[in-house]
Amino acid sequence: MRRKASLKVLKGALVAAIVSAVFAGSALAAPAWKLNGTELSGSETVVGAAIASSMTIPGMTTTCNHFLYTLKINNSGGTGKGEVTELPLYECSTNTVCVVSAIKAEKFPWASHLVTVSGKNYIVIENIRVSITYSGKGCAVGGLTVPITGSAGGLIDNTTETATFSPTSFSATGTALKFGSNNVEWKGTFPTEAFEWHREQALTVS
Amino acid sequence: MTEKRLTRIRVGLVAAAVAVCGLMASASAQASEWNKFDYCPSTNPTVFKCMQAVTTGGEIVMGKKTVPIVKPVTLQGGTTEPNEESVSSFVGATNGITLSKTPQAVPGGLLGIVPPESSPPLVKALSKFFFENSLTGVNATLELAKPASEIKVSELNLLFEEGTALTLPVKVHLENPFLGKNCYVGSSSNPLTWKLSTASPGTGGSLEFKEEAQIAQINGAKLVDSTWSAPAASGCGGILSFLVDPIINSQIGLPSAAGKNKSVLNNTITVALAEAVNEH
Repeated sequence: MRRKASLKVLKGALVAAIVSAVFAGSALAAPAWKLNGTELSGSETVVGAAIASSMTIPGMTTTCNHFLYTLKINNSGGTGKGEVTELPLYECSTNTVCVVSAIKAEKFPWASHLVTVSGKNYIVIENIRVSITYSGKGCAVGGLTVPITGSAGGLIDNTTETATFSPTSFSATGTALKFGSNNVEWKGTFPTEAFEWHREQALTVS
Repeated sequence: MTEKRLTRIRVGLVAAAVAVCGLMASASAQASEWNKFDYCPSTNPTVFKCMQAVTTGGEIVMGKKTVPIVKPVTLQGGTTEPNEESVSSFVGATNGITLSKTPQAVPGGLLGIVPPESSPPLVKALSKFFFENSLTGVNATLELAKPASEIKVSELNLLFEEGTALTLPVKVHLENPFLGKNCYVGSSSNPLTWKLSTASPGTGGSLEFKEEAQIAQINGAKLVDSTWSAPAASGCGGILSFLVDPIINSQIGLPSAAGKNKSVLNNTITVALAEAVNEH
């Protein structure tokens, strides 16, 4: 009788262990920001410019030559958090007759956090809002201000110290940028470099 | 040697023909994008954009009747520059067909006999044969009830799934040999005013740019309005309308108060600046 009961307990524990292992492997776990391998205490400012960045609505890609950002980071309860406080965008153009007459990132700060999905680390930025006004002779959306809103997940690469946003990283993190009901494809690679107290130190996520 | 030369010439000719055919196919495909605006009054100085909206599906629920839209209905013309509320007025098509008059069959026809959905195909086919033929079948045709300038469009609301995207004053023409030529639900003085929206349960569809973004096309936009009211039918049965109108009203459930009717239009909407249309 006793043996049966302990077998049941063992089985239960085994199931629980398997379930938690599965969740740890595939669902959203919580990594932290590290500087030279040590968990960040306090906060740090990360400043960078996109190596390459573009936003595509089928048939039109908008590219900005200067895509800068300021991200304030910290670890809270062992999880990497942060907020984007600035995103100045300059020299933007499209591959069509449309001209970008104004572009502005709005409603800061945009909250961010780190997640691990299937063993890979991502930064997720929420509450994104970028308004783009197009003009140009013949441009079908000329005069319209297009707000692009939503959230974005970028894959963190510790070796190159970059975050790369792509359809794959959006899919992995369940994030999406929208223009009305349309998905906007954002591709971009951003260097992650500490700019304040921990300059020159390797910024990684694990 | 001569044979070889001939073969080369033949191959050359075939290649040239293939290339010409390819060019022609691509040119005609390109032309077709702009052909959508053939009847846009693009040279009218008040016209800012050209628009074509093709309704390829959906339904009109009016009182007790549901009419599925199975044949495409086209709304075409120009739009004025948007006002401060981002609303543009429509400018009628140059061929006079701003809203195409496309008859849609009313299920069950004049007698309103519709077999249950679970009926065997044979029963459905027989019912269609007896009750939706040229004598007992009824067609419902949407017609504009007011001048084209009373159609209002908000591109912003259309794209961003907010508010009213398209205001359409219409009347429904019921057609059947017994109903005469003037059997209508709604009129110029008392139209069915549809304030269609892409907000839920509608959807804004998906935007795609063509011709270097000179043409914007919204695919799969679902415009819905379930707030309109429908007056009683009138003019049905010619001189016998005093007898026939009440029968039709009873059959359809008219007049029908706001909230009991619904229009769902599944659209492909194409837009271009008038200046771009003029150049093609």
